[in-house]
Amino acid sequence: MLDKTDETKQAQVLTREKIDLEHLVRTPKADLAVAGKSVVRTDDRLKVRGKLKYGADFPQEGFLHAKILRSPYPHALIRSIDTEAAKQLPGVVAVLTAADVPGRNGFGAIIPDQPVICGDKVRYVGDGVALVAAETEKIAQEALSLIEVVYEPLPAVFDPRDAMKEDAPKIHESGNILSHNKLRKGDVDAGFASADVILERTYQVPFLEHAYLEPDITMAAPQPDGSILVEGPMQAPFTVRRNIAPVLGVPINKVRVRQVHMGGGFGGKEDSPIDIGCRAALLTQHTGRPVRLALEREEVTIQTCKRHPMIMELKVGAKKDGTLTAFHGALYDEQGAYAGLGPLIPPAGGSHIHSMVMMPGPYEIPHVKVDAYLMYTNHPYGGAMRGFGAPQVHIAHEQMMDELAEALGLSPLEIRRKNAFKLGSVTATGQLLDQSVGLRETLEACAEAFDWEGRCRTRGYVDDARTRRRGVGVGMGWYRTSIGTGGDACGANVYVHEDGSVLLFSGITEMGQGSFTVLPQICAEELGVRLEDVRLVMPDTDMAPESGPTVGSRSTTLMGNAIILAARQVKGVILEMASEMLLVPVDRLESKDRKIYDRDRPDRSVPFRDAAARCMSRGKRLIGQGWWAPPPASLDPETGQGNPYFVYTYSTHMAEVIVDIETGEVEVTNYVAAFDVGKAINPRALEGQIEGGVAMGLGYALMEEVAIEQGYIRNVSLQNYLIPTTLDVPNIRSVILEVENRYGPYGAKGIGEMPNIPATPAILNAVADACGGRVRSLPADPEKVFWAIREAGGPPME
Amino acid sequence: MNTVELSFQLNGRRVEIQVSPDLMLVDVLRDVLGLTGTKVGCREGECGACAVLLDGEPVNSCILPAFKVGGRAVVTIEGLEGSDGKLDAIQEAFMEAGASQCGFCTPGMILNAKALLNRVPNPNDGEIRKALSGVLCRCTGYQKIIDAVKLAARNTRAASE
Repeated sequence: MLDKTDETKQAQVLTREKIDLEHLVRTPKADLAVAGKSVVRTDDRLKVRGKLKYGADFPQEGFLHAKILRSPYPHALIRSIDTEAAKQLPGVVAVLTAADVPGRNGFGAIIPDQPVICGDKVRYVGDGVALVAAETEKIAQEALSLIEVVYEPLPAVFDPRDAMKEDAPKIHESGNILSHNKLRKGDVDAGFASADVILERTYQVPFLEHAYLEPDITMAAPQPDGSILVEGPMQAPFTVRRNIAPVLGVPINKVRVRQVHMGGGFGGKEDSPIDIGCRAALLTQHTGRPVRLALEREEVTIQTCKRHPMIMELKVGAKKDGTLTAFHGALYDEQGAYAGLGPLIPPAGGSHIHSMVMMPGPYEIPHVKVDAYLMYTNHPYGGAMRGFGAPQVHIAHEQMMDELAEALGLSPLEIRRKNAFKLGSVTATGQLLDQSVGLRETLEACAEAFDWEGRCRTRGYVDDARTRRRGVGVGMGWYRTSIGTGGDACGANVYVHEDGSVLLFSGITEMGQGSFTVLPQICAEELGVRLEDVRLVMPDTDMAPESGPTVGSRSTTLMGNAIILAARQVKGVILEMASEMLLVPVDRLESKDRKIYDRDRPDRSVPFRDAAARCMSRGKRLIGQGWWAPPPASLDPETGQGNPYFVYTYSTHMAEVIVDIETGEVEVTNYVAAFDVGKAINPRALEGQIEGGVAMGLGYALMEEVAIEQGYIRNVSLQNYLIPTTLDVPNIRSVILEVENRYGPYGAKGIGEMPNIPATPAILNAVADACGGRVRSLPADPEKVFWAIREAGGPPME
Repeated sequence: MNTVELSFQLNGRRVEIQVSPDLMLVDVLRDVLGLTGTKVGCREGECGACAVLLDGEPVNSCILPAFKVGGRAVVTIEGLEGSDGKLDAIQEAFMEAGASQCGFCTPGMILNAKALLNRVPNPNDGEIRKALSGVLCRCTGYQKIIDAVKLAARNTRAASE
């Protein structure tokens, strides 16, 4: 293990002068009553009884049903659209085309480049060319078949490298290269000159489907005051509102967006609710009636965003002892037909910039050069998916580290111990990691829990017939907390009532990750009440302060701080009242478990509710408002130098697999994942995030791929887009370490996405260890593993 | 449109309704009878979110024509809790173990687990994994779901001893 005392001393020397007091929210680190406890989730009782209402469970009386006519071509001009026959069909209430969009005919999380209804051109199979609203879904469906569209197919482009060529078909007027971002640190030529070994590899990953179990749905309804209410499962209500208003040509305050409980999101329900929300709202504006737009599973696959596919070229140099000297990366990142969440908005917005920042891995490398290209193609568009561009590049650098270790005759752990970030490390963007860096601790804790050394001794054939071989693999990773843009902030309101009950208003959504439990835990902790005293109001843009999207593993940390500041404000009023009631100075008062008491004489106390009631009767303000933005982010557009994110979560995963060398089938037999999370606010919910993230990473490694041929998705249903089942996922052991994040509530930092990231390379490295073949183009399904073994000249000799 | 008369037992009560013969059981449950605890994730019997118990065995109600349940007994997630509001041991265990995340698969998981525990009161990991393999969950990695089933089995045994 590391000598922690030395590390701590070093940290103090490094950082004493660097603490950003403006962004520091001081919180207790011990004696917590509600935060830090594995309480039962606040929504569980409804879920296990089947009583929780998802979007599709809402009453449908009075609603029109909407359908979207989609482009059958990946790239084509629209010559004409005839909707007359569809409009004549009894039961059809509206058929809209591009001419019917009153405002901006475009939406998008970052750039509004996707038409609400395509007018002149379609750019992927699934682009919307007409909208129908009818009395029943069946009628709406039938109406689609009566719309006649004449297309003129255009040459299409399906490979990001082809898209870069001068003579490539132009998908948007602005050209196919959406962005080219650069990362420059030191002098890579000098770095490679000083290397003993240089390795070059290319890794490739396909489009991935989120496969959230709940298909997308949205409901729009006119309100008596002339505004429009849009409801549905969504991760980013404020982004949805920001898009709908200009499409309808109305001010933002005429659009109200309310989240309905989500049946999974994983980043996918950041983009898709904008898409269907704009379209349903448009139909409501035209018809004056409530409109329900529900996608079938196949429509979800065809229409909504995917995880970005990438081609990643890496060149790494190292000394004989494993010390990295230089890293040169080229990243061909495929955005698909529309910008979605891909491109850079300074200082560090889209997924593409995140991929670039993360590409060299969590390692100290003196000389780094990365060129990252983001290209439009005629494929579905890329969006956020649990890791926002980080899982892809981790698959590259973590496999590369193993290949390098092998070339140098080092073990996978040795080479990582040599180079992994520690307190005081400087990243490829020049960021000094001056606090909360527990990466090496996760490596050691994981190795111990996994029994790495012991398991290494059981590698090789596991059966007498010599057909199945066991191997082990490691994957390390880091992930940001926050999104790093200038507008990255959260607001919260806390209302206390005269009976001591509390309303919490937050715009952070629940998609299954547990924020509706963790955020009230934080609120109850700060106020000194019980969890059941706090009711969190479903995110509603009419009621909650702007909170940004529920992404970037930012909720617990950013919103947690905002809630603490809000609760602290209202608690201050209540404590002053209690001070008067108890005749005890306010700074001696403590609020805990519904009681306010004198720290020096705990028997002198007043119930929280009595103090609150007296505040109410005396006209005191019982509303707290909190606002928190992290320390500011920076990133130079020419060099990629700066501090793109204010803190990172770190992790090491270890996997054991058995590979059938005759069939290429892989079974994951053991798994340990260790994390530095800063502080676990709800340890059991945190474990749930880890286990689910690992399972998703397993799917990425071994089975998942959106198979697209000439722009057409072949596996549109869950029958042929396979995700892991109970029979694929092993028992997963989580190890939780807490290296305090000084800017986080009680020391916390983000965890939602991190578990998904090192899982895939850990499994791929284990597969390579077991069978000798390495699959560099995912997924490592039986066929690819089979051929990788043959290409390697058979399994390793013993 | 033609309708057929359908009579079956639902959560212990007799139901007699007229339904269109092309309706699947899940649509009758959700749209005709208002029981929305049964979820629709794929409409092709792949995800298992629509699972209900038919004569005690789990079936995917999204691919089962409603008329086929005539004269038989159907149990949905709403039928697991007692009339006194007491929850089934599996429901309690799902909360205690933290087995729900987004919760969309939870009704299907719980009903598949119910069928398993009725058949095998003390299942091992392999039996649980096999019994639940027809229900997809994208959130949990299944670990806490399997823990919950074991916990429910243990609590049920303890209660009957």
